[in-house]
Amino acid sequence: MGARDLNITAPAPGPGPATALGLYVHVPFCATKCPYCDFNTYARIEDLIPDYVGALGNEIATWGAALGRPSLATVFYGGGTPSYLPPDQFMRLAHCVEAAFRVMPGAEITVEANPDDCSPAKLASLLDAGANRISIGVQSLDDTLLRRLGRRHDSKQALGAVREARAAGFDNLSVDLMFGLPHQSQATWESTVHQVLESAPDHVSMYALTIEPATPFAALVQAQELPEPDPDRAADMYEFACEAMESAGFRHYEISNWAKPGRASRHNLIYWRNSYYLGVGPGAHSFLPGVRFADLKSPREYVRRAGSLTPELANGVSWVEAAPDVVRALEAAGVIGSSERISRSLEMAETMMMGLRLDQGVGNAQFQARFGQNLAETYPSEIADLTRLGLLEQDAEGLRLTTRGRLLGNEVFGRFVMTAQPA
Amino acid sequence: MDSIRIRNFCIIAHIDHGKSTLADRLLEVTGAVPARQMTEQVLDSMDLERERGITIKAQAVRLPYTAVDGQQYEFNLIDTPGHVDFSYEVSRSLAACEGALLVVDATQGVQAQTLANVYMALEHDLILIPIVNKIDMIAAEPKRVADELTSAFGFRDDEVIFGSAKTGQGVEQILEAIVKRIPPPRGNPASPLRALIFDSKYDSYKGVIAYVRVVDGQVKTNDRIRMMSGGADAEVLEVGYFSPKPVSLPGLGSGSVGYLATGMKSVRECRVGDTITLHKDPAKESLRPYRPLKPMVYTGLYPAEGDDYASLRDALGKLQLNDAALTYEPETSAALGFGFRCGFLGLLHLDIVQERLEREYGLNLITTAPSVRYRVTLTNGKDVEVDNPAKMPDPGEIARIFEPWVDLTVITPGKFIGAVMELVTSRRGEFVKMEYLQAATSGSTTSGGVAEGGRVLLEYRLPMSEILVDFHDQLKSGTQGYASMDYQLAEPREAALVKLEILVNGDPLDALSLICHRDDAYWQGRELVSKLKDLIPRQMFEVPLQATIGSRIVARETIRAMRKNVLAKCYGGDVSRKRKLLEKQAEGKKRMKKVGSVDVPQEAFMAVLKLDRGNR
Repeated sequence: MGARDLNITAPAPGPGPATALGLYVHVPFCATKCPYCDFNTYARIEDLIPDYVGALGNEIATWGAALGRPSLATVFYGGGTPSYLPPDQFMRLAHCVEAAFRVMPGAEITVEANPDDCSPAKLASLLDAGANRISIGVQSLDDTLLRRLGRRHDSKQALGAVREARAAGFDNLSVDLMFGLPHQSQATWESTVHQVLESAPDHVSMYALTIEPATPFAALVQAQELPEPDPDRAADMYEFACEAMESAGFRHYEISNWAKPGRASRHNLIYWRNSYYLGVGPGAHSFLPGVRFADLKSPREYVRRAGSLTPELANGVSWVEAAPDVVRALEAAGVIGSSERISRSLEMAETMMMGLRLDQGVGNAQFQARFGQNLAETYPSEIADLTRLGLLEQDAEGLRLTTRGRLLGNEVFGRFVMTAQPA
Repeated sequence: MDSIRIRNFCIIAHIDHGKSTLADRLLEVTGAVPARQMTEQVLDSMDLERERGITIKAQAVRLPYTAVDGQQYEFNLIDTPGHVDFSYEVSRSLAACEGALLVVDATQGVQAQTLANVYMALEHDLILIPIVNKIDMIAAEPKRVADELTSAFGFRDDEVIFGSAKTGQGVEQILEAIVKRIPPPRGNPASPLRALIFDSKYDSYKGVIAYVRVVDGQVKTNDRIRMMSGGADAEVLEVGYFSPKPVSLPGLGSGSVGYLATGMKSVRECRVGDTITLHKDPAKESLRPYRPLKPMVYTGLYPAEGDDYASLRDALGKLQLNDAALTYEPETSAALGFGFRCGFLGLLHLDIVQERLEREYGLNLITTAPSVRYRVTLTNGKDVEVDNPAKMPDPGEIARIFEPWVDLTVITPGKFIGAVMELVTSRRGEFVKMEYLQAATSGSTTSGGVAEGGRVLLEYRLPMSEILVDFHDQLKSGTQGYASMDYQLAEPREAALVKLEILVNGDPLDALSLICHRDDAYWQGRELVSKLKDLIPRQMFEVPLQATIGSRIVARETIRAMRKNVLAKCYGGDVSRKRKLLEKQAEGKKRMKKVGSVDVPQEAFMAVLKLDRGNR
């Protein structure tokens, strides 16, 4: 405990120092806060936007400089509501990213958008700023449910947004849906899925509603004013979606995600493959070799602290070598609010917990290359038990969830997580 | 002091009727010490007391009293445990006295336990001084309560003293009554020593402290003594009395009350009720036939965390040093692992022990349903005793089962007779008799009060097993809290009993087995499996729950297989939080008990305590 410097775990041979990073850019502003949402987002702090973009730009510049302008394979503007930013502010941000990092040719640059923001002019400005993928928060096409979810749009606006985004020139378009909602019927859900398929997205994410602690929905459930989510009904909806999406030519490449060939979210794949990414903005999470960390959560405090960072150039070392010093400096400056050392066994467990979410699962070769040991020999009893329960299947390539296992993923992930030793 | 001026007495009172306050007042008025100062002094002298080796509460206090006749008297006030579970201890305390103050709350009247203790005092030929206490309270009905005392116990009107221990009213009168009405102790100073142990406590410095009433002879420091029934010998390290601080003496003589420090290691060697005599000049006969305490209620105690088994064993061992009635022996359950089958005098005793294990020893326990001890005659003619339902022989081997019964006394306002009757008959009870403690028409003016419709004494006989679980709560709730109850062991009876077993996914859940009457097996089985269905979380597979008698299934439920348990959203990069969520889920599962391949949470084992009789 005392010799902190000696206590740094050597990072596991990760995806390799040459690997490009993913960058997540957090936009914590929303016109209104939805009652189910527990993300670090806020309504009615619009006065902060100009200073916020300045401070965020400064954090981006600091990272870029200190890591020696590393390559980015993906950029993801999430939130919050990135589409809620005025076009000039969004453009400022995009310029900061391009100046601080080497955005690779053909990099995936996603922006999250709410249907009510999708005017032709706004969409054009996003494309202008370099975005080439849009993720639209449709959530549902049932107007009653949309109101209950506290959304600002109706189904007509939602489908209109998809059309407008196509017309504006987004050729990589994703739609977010929610299911297992209070008072949602199977029929409503089926109709939503059909209509979304008719709108011909390239990618669909479908999330079962989770009641997060300390949200208005949690309070309503507690007060018995909202029914608790029924996992059986959610399972019925999920199973319907799996069939409908498959017949429409989508690949079910992750538990909650479907894509047309070649349209899987490359940014999210970085998370699921447990590769390295940098998150900037209040509450944004990062994973660099041997360490996970997150920026402090308060946007106002963030503006103060990130705004006073001074970007310093790295002296010729690779970003992997430079990273520990930068993390320490940002922790000292109070921009990073929390961090966790990731031991080798934890990294293995997290690789399993995230990788098994993918239809490809965790590959023997990849595991061997990353950790220098055999997957089957690392987790013999876990694999045996979970295979016997019909939740996992194993072949020469590797290990993946069965169809049943996809709905019972936590039972699988929990077993691997419990094997990890802390750093 | 000449034994002619010694008065040995105790106080009989229901909980909260004012026993402690009256005792404090007696201490104060006799000049021992003012009550408040006494507490302070005891605290201040804690270190000194430790050095002296006596750190425990006075069980008998000596009070010097100068009576109106100008004579100096020695009063010995002996404490009595207040609950029926400890009735044997009560009877030993009574046996050490010649008289008792019977204290009844003027706002409450006579309670069932008071009644039981009064009868016990009468059996020991004690002189009773009836006192109506708390007459200063607004809700007091002194006349009505005095009527109850005269009609229930046959006191004369002029015997009853009215007073208030709080204000001191009536205390002088009580002190004089002690002198005048209670006879001095009888005994022979010249005979070999015979001293009755009415309480004993373990002290880590001086070993077991025996609280004794010397009947014949005398005992001195350094005497070698012998327990007449237990057979153990010890040396008297110290002799003395409490006032309320310990005062050591060279010796105790015939008629006197005090303590002996014995250096013994456990109260089991120096049991309440045994007679002490001298090693070199032993008495021929003990004072009274000694009856060892026998547990009446049994339960399995298991550590919720298997690692705590050794801690539980050590804790039980320590409790037993000071609790001769507690028994325990190792037991294993397929579901709960290693634990102990523990025997208690009654439910209160069980509660006290359980609470002390949890509070003082920091143990997290799973308690199985309490059981009585059955006597089983096997078809091969042998008799066995069974205190654990899981150990009940197969029905084919059983010729007859006898279960313990109790005589139950209930005192309740008349308007609740119906509710009490219904409760008792639903528990296989038999009505014995009913008596009005006070006429329904007597002049009470309290509207809707306790006495509406008069107060009634009800006597029943019922199987002891029927009062083990939630009977007292039901009695209280059915009578708006007014009824009080008491019970005594009665003759066992043969009964048509069966063992109800619970199968989870085909595997018996031994800790939930119970013995019940054949007629109750169906609804109890139904209730149990339906409770379990709610308490056991869904598993990876369908889990049938069955209640069976032998090979016959009497109730069945099915827990459907879990279909969905997966974090929907796993992006936004907050992997640490998701991981911790999964860890929490997995750890919750680890804390559950395995029954076959089914994970059963701890609460499920308590299901049997919460059966809803409304669903019969």
